Amino acid sequence: MAYKLVERPDLTLAERLYLPAVMKGLSLTLKYFFKRKKFTREYPEEPTTVPEGYRGLPALVTDDEGRTKCVACSMCEWVCPPEAIRIIPGSLEEGNPVEKGPKEFTLDTLRCIFCGLCEEACPEEAIFLTDQYEFCGESREEMIFTMDKLLEIGGTRIKGVKKWKKESDAGFHNKGPIR
Amino acid sequence: MPTLTIDGREITVDPGTTVIQAAEELGIYIPRYCWHPGLKIAGNCRICQVEVVNPKLKFPCTIACNLMCGDGMVIETDSDEAKKARADVMEFLLINHPLDCPICDQAGECTLQEFSYEYGHDKSRFTEEKVHKSKRVQFSDQVSFDGERCILCTRCVRFCRDVVGNEELCLVERGDHEEIAVANGGGLTNPYSMNVIDLCPVGALTSSDFRFKSRVWFLEETPSACTSCARNCAVDIGTRWDKVMRLKPRENEHVNKWWMCDEGRLNYHYVNAADRLGYAYVQQGGKLVRTSVDDAVAMAHELIGKLPAEKLYGLISARLTNEEIFLAKRYLDQVAGAAGVGFLPRIGEGDDFLISADRNPNARGAGLIGVSAAKGLAADIKAGKVKGLVIFGDSFDHDEELMGALADLDFLVVMDYRLSETAKQADVILPGVTFAEKEGSITNIDGWVSKLNPALPPPAEARRNLDLLAGLLGRAGQDVPDTAEGVFRLLAETVSAFTDISYGEIFAASRQVATDAVVKAD
Repeated sequence: MAYKLVERPDLTLAERLYLPAVMKGLSLTLKYFFKRKKFTREYPEEPTTVPEGYRGLPALVTDDEGRTKCVACSMCEWVCPPEAIRIIPGSLEEGNPVEKGPKEFTLDTLRCIFCGLCEEACPEEAIFLTDQYEFCGESREEMIFTMDKLLEIGGTRIKGVKKWKKESDAGFHNKGPIR
Repeated sequence: MPTLTIDGREITVDPGTTVIQAAEELGIYIPRYCWHPGLKIAGNCRICQVEVVNPKLKFPCTIACNLMCGDGMVIETDSDEAKKARADVMEFLLINHPLDCPICDQAGECTLQEFSYEYGHDKSRFTEEKVHKSKRVQFSDQVSFDGERCILCTRCVRFCRDVVGNEELCLVERGDHEEIAVANGGGLTNPYSMNVIDLCPVGALTSSDFRFKSRVWFLEETPSACTSCARNCAVDIGTRWDKVMRLKPRENEHVNKWWMCDEGRLNYHYVNAADRLGYAYVQQGGKLVRTSVDDAVAMAHELIGKLPAEKLYGLISARLTNEEIFLAKRYLDQVAGAAGVGFLPRIGEGDDFLISADRNPNARGAGLIGVSAAKGLAADIKAGKVKGLVIFGDSFDHDEELMGALADLDFLVVMDYRLSETAKQADVILPGVTFAEKEGSITNIDGWVSKLNPALPPPAEARRNLDLLAGLLGRAGQDVPDTAEGVFRLLAETVSAFTDISYGEIFAASRQVATDAVVKAD
């Protein structure tokens, strides 16, 4: 077997005495003890901010008129790797420019892996990953978020697809390159 | 007999064959919207463009559905010319088509989506406002219409006119305002109206029953057969979340071609219903008490054994499969020695197209196995000739005469999929399954044998009927196979009509029971 012989270093007197090295180490400790610069935060008393693009809890959003943007197309449900989303579609009442919407939309936050594929798959820009990272509960049922809860978390997003507008309406801007 | 070359492959066809049919025979799929093998040629969608290779032609592309095969013809179905022609046709078709795939029930099985993806452009050059037409129109309680999605292929119009024979649908207006409408302000009332939903290549005609229930790509489709009448139309059972979501006809040239009736299509809700039997029950002091299935089987066998055989009658439903009827009859004949067996006849209104007047799906099979329609059962019970009744897979909640006679019985054993009023009178209830949860074969009115396949697991503790019957026979020391295939083999050995049929063959298509002409399944 091939091996390499490692020479033991010749120690100086100071090194062999051992105490100087101990003093050196202790002085460093003492220096930081009195310097008092903190690198940790007093979470949760001291709230923390997350960077832009942080992938937190997915939530549903409403448009400027308070309508649910989701049309229950089930794209997020289909793409969701851990199958955390479950949608039961329903029919919207007569007179709406859109016929279909979610009757039930549940997100099992215990299953969600915050991958963001739902946001990417959504053709209506109705689901977004928020900066929410604080959510907990005392039971599994509590952690399955309903549509109302998700809409409350998501809030309103004015920009983006406007499915309630008609082509003739002012402000209809759905004229991108792909239609 | 013209011989032509399609994509470099030669084929000789009968005179009068169109290029699209010849290509189909070669296994080459040419896109189509308006053409359907079961309908007359319209040639209005123009998507089936193929290139006719001939240097004399300035524009070599033409539609394959309306082009008769000629001798020496050379056709290219996938050349650059043909693809470009299809892309151009797609562009026209999509001009006024709304981009509402996310809320369209057809998405996922929409040929407009498929061919657009395959041949169409990724951009629209159309910058004007799209034409708006009527939306959310109910043609009938079951068929909803969206005029904007319609590409005017007229398949639905031709189906009503040529297949059903009433002109309930028609085209109104002209130009880009043209749309499908119900003729003369009437409704879409024919009993086959829902076939237009399957025929519609886009999402213009959709099912109100299936509306927004589930996206189609979530459905698991199990090939099976409809059990609503003696026709046994081939269907696909679409399931999700352990529920039946829809039935859709499946092509079977011997039985139903491409169609099925609305009644059969919608007759699946009982599978999902709340009154399904999930557990075995026994009658104790006027109350039904839940028990284990094995105990219930043992108790049923014991009860049947106590009664003198000549006082026992067995009702074997003609809704059961050939295999189940065979095992049930074997149990009643050989073990219990019942004085008689029969099935409850069900007669409704039939027509000369698909709907059979006989509403029992397997009456023909029951007849072949040796079970005939029960006669005078209520009178026999009243007269004391029948003291014990065993019902396999049936109920007669609405037959007042029979329901009234039940009180005179010493005992009643019921095997069924639901807790019917009949079952509530029983001493022992065995939880069985519906057509969607079992495997087996059924024989239609013309003798075609089709296969049922399990699309769902039995609910709770319910068992497949075959297991329950094999359990009863097992109590008597008779060892029978517990698979449908094994029982079918036994049946084929015993009943001569089934001798020439192998179970594997009916999986692919139906097979006819016959002693003379046996038609080979494809």
